[in-house]
Amino acid sequence: MTERSGRSGRWLRGLRRANRGALIGIAFLIALIFGAVFANYLFPGDPELADTSKDRFPPSLTYPFGTDYLGRDQLALITYGARVSLIVAFVAGAILAIVGIITGLMAGYFGGKIDGLIMRTADVFLTIPTLPLILVVVMVMGPSLVNVMLIIGLTNWPSMTRIVRADTLTLMKREFIEIETVMGASPLRIIFKHLLPNQISTILVYTSLSIPVVILTEAALEFLGLAPMSVSWGFMLNMAMNYWITGAWWLTFFPGLAIFSTSLSFYLVSEGLKEALSPKLKRKRESWSIQLAAKRK
Amino acid sequence: MGLGSYIGRRLTIAVGLIFVVATLNFAILHIAPGGPEAVLLQNPRITPQARVLILKSFGLDKPLHEQYLLYLKGLLTGNWGTSYFYLQPSFDVIAQRIPATLLLMIPTLLLTISLGVLLGVFSSRKPFSLLDRAISSFAFFFYSMPAFWLGFVLLTIFALFFRVLPAGGMTSVTATTFNFFDYARHLVLPMMTLTLINVANFALLVRSSMIEVLDQNYIVTARGKGLTEQMILYRHALRNGLLPTVTMIGLFVGFILQGAMLTETVFSWPGLGLLTFDSIFRRDYPIVLSLLFIFSTMIILSNLITDIIYGFLDPRITYD
Repeated sequence: MTERSGRSGRWLRGLRRANRGALIGIAFLIALIFGAVFANYLFPGDPELADTSKDRFPPSLTYPFGTDYLGRDQLALITYGARVSLIVAFVAGAILAIVGIITGLMAGYFGGKIDGLIMRTADVFLTIPTLPLILVVVMVMGPSLVNVMLIIGLTNWPSMTRIVRADTLTLMKREFIEIETVMGASPLRIIFKHLLPNQISTILVYTSLSIPVVILTEAALEFLGLAPMSVSWGFMLNMAMNYWITGAWWLTFFPGLAIFSTSLSFYLVSEGLKEALSPKLKRKRESWSIQLAAKRK
Repeated sequence: MGLGSYIGRRLTIAVGLIFVVATLNFAILHIAPGGPEAVLLQNPRITPQARVLILKSFGLDKPLHEQYLLYLKGLLTGNWGTSYFYLQPSFDVIAQRIPATLLLMIPTLLLTISLGVLLGVFSSRKPFSLLDRAISSFAFFFYSMPAFWLGFVLLTIFALFFRVLPAGGMTSVTATTFNFFDYARHLVLPMMTLTLINVANFALLVRSSMIEVLDQNYIVTARGKGLTEQMILYRHALRNGLLPTVTMIGLFVGFILQGAMLTETVFSWPGLGLLTFDSIFRRDYPIVLSLLFIFSTMIILSNLITDIIYGFLDPRITYD
C-alpha cells in the first residue's frame, strides 16, 4: 500500500475503513446521478404526458413505482425529478460553503470589528426560523430555480462560518503561522497558502453534512407549492395530497422515499468522510445541527 | 454581573432580534418586483384616480422612511395589514389559529422532552451499548427524513390500511363541543410524526451532557463513598446533567414549530402551518409576512424564556 500513499489513496483507504453506510450512500448517489443525466435515454418520450387510461395503477413490473393520477409513470417522473434536487443540492451547497468559508476566514483572521459584525449577522440568521423566511422570499421573488438555490444557500451559511472561524482561530495559534506572520507574509498568502488548505477536510465534511438540510428545505418549498420545476419530488407530494386518500399510497410513498434516501445518502457519506479524515471525531455522535446549536449558547 | 443585568441583556438581544425581523419583513415587501403596489398595477380595471386613492389609503404615497415608521407603529399596535383573502385584519386571522398550533405543539414538546430525557439518561449509563447505538442511528435516520413524508407514511398505515385513526383535522365533523377524547384521537398521528423526528436528537443531547457529568470528580467521590448507582444517578448526576438541556428546549421549540408548519398541512390541522400553506396558495402576502413575524417572535421569545430559566436554575452561571 506504500505506493498509494498519495492524497487520493489515503482517502480511498479511509473510506473503505469507514462504515459500510458511506459506501451504500456513495453507490446510491452514483446511481442517482447516472439516472438524472441519462433520464432522456432511460425513459424516452415526454414523462409529463398524461394518459388517463392508466390512472393510478398500483406498483407492478411495468410500473415499479405505479402511475399517478394523470397516468404518468412515477419511476420516470422521479428519475427526471432527481435533476432538480441534485442541482439544487450541489449549487446551494456550494453557495453556502463559499459564503461560509469567506466569512469564517475573515472573522477568524482579522478579528475585532469584522469578526463582531460577521458573527452578529450569523447569530441573527441562526435565530430567525429559516424555513418561513425562505418561504416568504421565494414567494415574493418568484419560485425560479436560481432564486430557490440562492435563498437556500444564503440563509444556511452561518453554521459553516462558525466552523471555519473556530478552525482558523486554532490554526492562527500554531507556530508555522506565527513564523509566516513574523516573516512578513501577506494576509492573502497566509489565508490561501495555510489557513484554507489545512481546513479542506473539515470543509468537505460539513458541506456534505449540510446538503441534507438543503434537500429537505427544497422539498419542503415544493411541497408547500413553491416549485421551480413542474417535475420535482416535493411537488409530486404536493399534487398527490388530494389523491392518496383514495387508497393510492404509492403517490406519496415513492417521491418521499426518493427525498429521504437522497438526503440520508449525503448524510452517510459525510459520516464516512468524517471518520476517514478525522479519527478523533469518531466518538462525537450528536448530529451536526444539534452540535452547532449547542455551541451557540 | 448579577442575575438582573443578565436578564436585561437577554431581553435587549431579544427585542433587537424582533426589530431585525420586522425590518426584514418590511424590506421583503419592498424588494418584491413592483413593490407592494404590484397587485394594483396588474389590474387593468383600476383607473389612475382609483390607484392614487388606494395608495393614499394604505399610506403608500409617503416617502419610504415614513412608511417604515408607520409599519413599525402598526406592528406594535396590532395593525398588521389586511388579508387579501379573508378581508379581515391579519392579526385577527392569525390570532384565531394560534390555539390549534399550541394544542399540537405543547403536547408534542412535553412528550419529546420526557421521552428524550428517559432515553438519554438510559443510554448514558451504558455508552456504546445496543440501546445507545440504536438511538444514534435513529437520530441520523430521522435527521434526513422529511417530516411531511413521515406524516404520509403514518397516515397510510393507521388511517388507510388499518383505519384505526382519523385521517386529518383536529376534531370530528360531528363533534359540537370540545371533546377531549376526540381531540386526542386526532392528535396521535401528528404528535407521533413530530416526536419521532425530534426525540432521538434530544436524547443525544441529554446523553452527552450526562456523560460529561458522570466524569466529574464529585461523582467519583460519591462512588468512593460507596453509594449505590441509583443514588449517584438520581441524587448527584441527574440534576446537573439535565441543566444544559434546559437551554436546548428553546431550540426544539423552533424545530417543532418548523416541523409543525409541514405536518399541519399533511394532517389538515387547523393551525398556523395550514394557514401558511393556504396563504401561499392564495398569494395572500399580508398573512404570509405576518406569519414570518409571528414564527420568529415565538422562537425568539422561547429562547429568551429558557435562557432566563437557566439563569435562575444554575447558580454557577457567570452572566457574561
